[in-house]
Amino acid sequence: MTDRTKKLVATVGIVVLTVLVAIPAIAGQDQKTSWGDPDLRGRWDFRSSTPFQRPERFKDKEFLTAEEVAEYESERAQTREDRIAGVNRDEYTESQNDVDGGYNAFFIDSGVKMSGTMRTSLIVDPPDGQLPAFTDSGIQRARARYATWGQAPATPADRPTAVRCITGFNSGPPITPGAYNNMMEVFQTEDYVAIYTEMVNDHRIIPLDNSEHLPEDMRLWKGDSRGRWDGDTLVVVTKNFNEHTAHQMTSKDMVLTEKFSRTEGGLLYEYTVDDPSSHVAPWSTALEMVATEDLVYEYACHEGNLAMMLMLRGARLQEEAGGGQGTDAQEDQWLASWYRDAAAAVREDK
Amino acid sequence: MISKMWQRMVALAVAVATVPLLAAGASAQPGDSTYRAPRTPDGNPDLNGIWQAIGSAHWDIEDHAARMGAAVELGAIGAIPAGLGVVEGGEIPYHPEALATRNDNLDNWLELDPAVKCYMPGIPRATYMPFPFQIVQTPSAIMFGYEYTSSTRAVRMDRPGTEADLASWMGYGLGRWEGETLVVDVTSQMPDTWFDSSGNFHSEELVVEERYTPIGPNALFYEVTIEDPQVFTRPWKMSMPLYRRLEEDARLLEFKCIPFAEEAMFGEWYNRR
Repeated sequence: MTDRTKKLVATVGIVVLTVLVAIPAIAGQDQKTSWGDPDLRGRWDFRSSTPFQRPERFKDKEFLTAEEVAEYESERAQTREDRIAGVNRDEYTESQNDVDGGYNAFFIDSGVKMSGTMRTSLIVDPPDGQLPAFTDSGIQRARARYATWGQAPATPADRPTAVRCITGFNSGPPITPGAYNNMMEVFQTEDYVAIYTEMVNDHRIIPLDNSEHLPEDMRLWKGDSRGRWDGDTLVVVTKNFNEHTAHQMTSKDMVLTEKFSRTEGGLLYEYTVDDPSSHVAPWSTALEMVATEDLVYEYACHEGNLAMMLMLRGARLQEEAGGGQGTDAQEDQWLASWYRDAAAAVREDK
Repeated sequence: MISKMWQRMVALAVAVATVPLLAAGASAQPGDSTYRAPRTPDGNPDLNGIWQAIGSAHWDIEDHAARMGAAVELGAIGAIPAGLGVVEGGEIPYHPEALATRNDNLDNWLELDPAVKCYMPGIPRATYMPFPFQIVQTPSAIMFGYEYTSSTRAVRMDRPGTEADLASWMGYGLGRWEGETLVVDVTSQMPDTWFDSSGNFHSEELVVEERYTPIGPNALFYEVTIEDPQVFTRPWKMSMPLYRRLEEDARLLEFKCIPFAEEAMFGEWYNRR
């Protein structure tokens, strides 16, 4: 490369960088409330096909090009089409996935688009895109939970909280893209930011008044959130979770820090999980939510939860027939297909 | 200490200020109120805050003497407190066959009351459940977050004339301002909710008009008109004040009641070994 070319490349680089830096600033002018805070109000779609952890195929690759994103999305779309059309049906018919993942195409709404971050995983830290290793107590907790969920439930308390409709599997905190109901609406005043999530029709009302968190003995299913503005970013710290908190097997001592920042047409959502009793290091994710005019619908989970009655009745019938809880032959039979790989990874004989 | 005493004095002052309202009962006319609420940045009356009804309408919206509760073990603390009705004119205008259904509901309320199962209470019952709710107000939509089972609804201010795509437990709420009053028309509610724990019910034809009028810095007057030709012979009305929670550290907490309802709902299929 000649000196002239190098100079040209450097100049173009600086111009591009300047434009990149300037865009959020320009966009930001229209993104303020009348009282001057960044405006997070509106409805946000957090569907994303970006994998939570970086898959093997993207090893050593943090970002994708536009072409690679398009290719990945078209694969996802094809998989979805194949499933609807029943291609390779024999491979999953009568499998666990056919039992617990047997929703029809109308119900599954996880989207095919990758996050606008163009990253190869939602996890951005550690930089390899993988969850840090469990601590010993993290492994113990994971084993105990998978063991409980793998057995016929004696009572609803033996099923995950999302199955009981107490919390949603994607509505958090933290908010994580899931199979359906990836919608939230933000309401905002000078004193509060409120997040209304479609999943289990729940809300989180976050005070911005610099008040202290609740006393440590006040434990809540969704934890206790406090927010503050750091420049154009809303920073929300949530703690005081209860012992049922199970996001990636974290404990009640998880301290969650979420950041919400407007981007052009989107909302950058980043969170950091700090729970020394679960993972050997804190870890962080990033996702760009997309503004939408779609409405948030009411997901009346508990009101329609016939499955709980059916699971308990099924468990009792299974026991009457000599199977079910406490019998070796039935180990893990009740574990949902989407937990199986993670459960296998922490098994004692591993 | 000073702050606690001050809080009590404020609470007392509010109580005194609202005595005339309580005395006037359901016939109080908020239209007489000349109070002008503070404004939000967009110029509308500011209803932001944590609010709660006081009374026993959630047990029974009609006049009722104190009565025995359902759980013997709870003794006196499980008993149902007395209350003057919140129904204007005192009587709910049921069709005769609907009245028979109501009486049947009352006889079997433990089995049938959706609140026993921790179901979302619908509108208007959510307003006067014995739990606070919080209003978070924006120009285009107003969020109502209820502590009871964390139920939530967004009242849309920017979609007049639209209809719900499907029925829901908390209904489809379209709001508008009439002077100091937030008026919300609620349609498309599920037929499964009740008005109280005494079997007062409705059908899927229910149309509710809610009116929230600030009558002082710390109180709203709540009026609600119920229309449901399948169940009632004419529209009828309830009203009551809603009070601001004045504690310095007032917060909407969680009353996630599913774990408290599970045994009542599914206990017969538990393995109790």
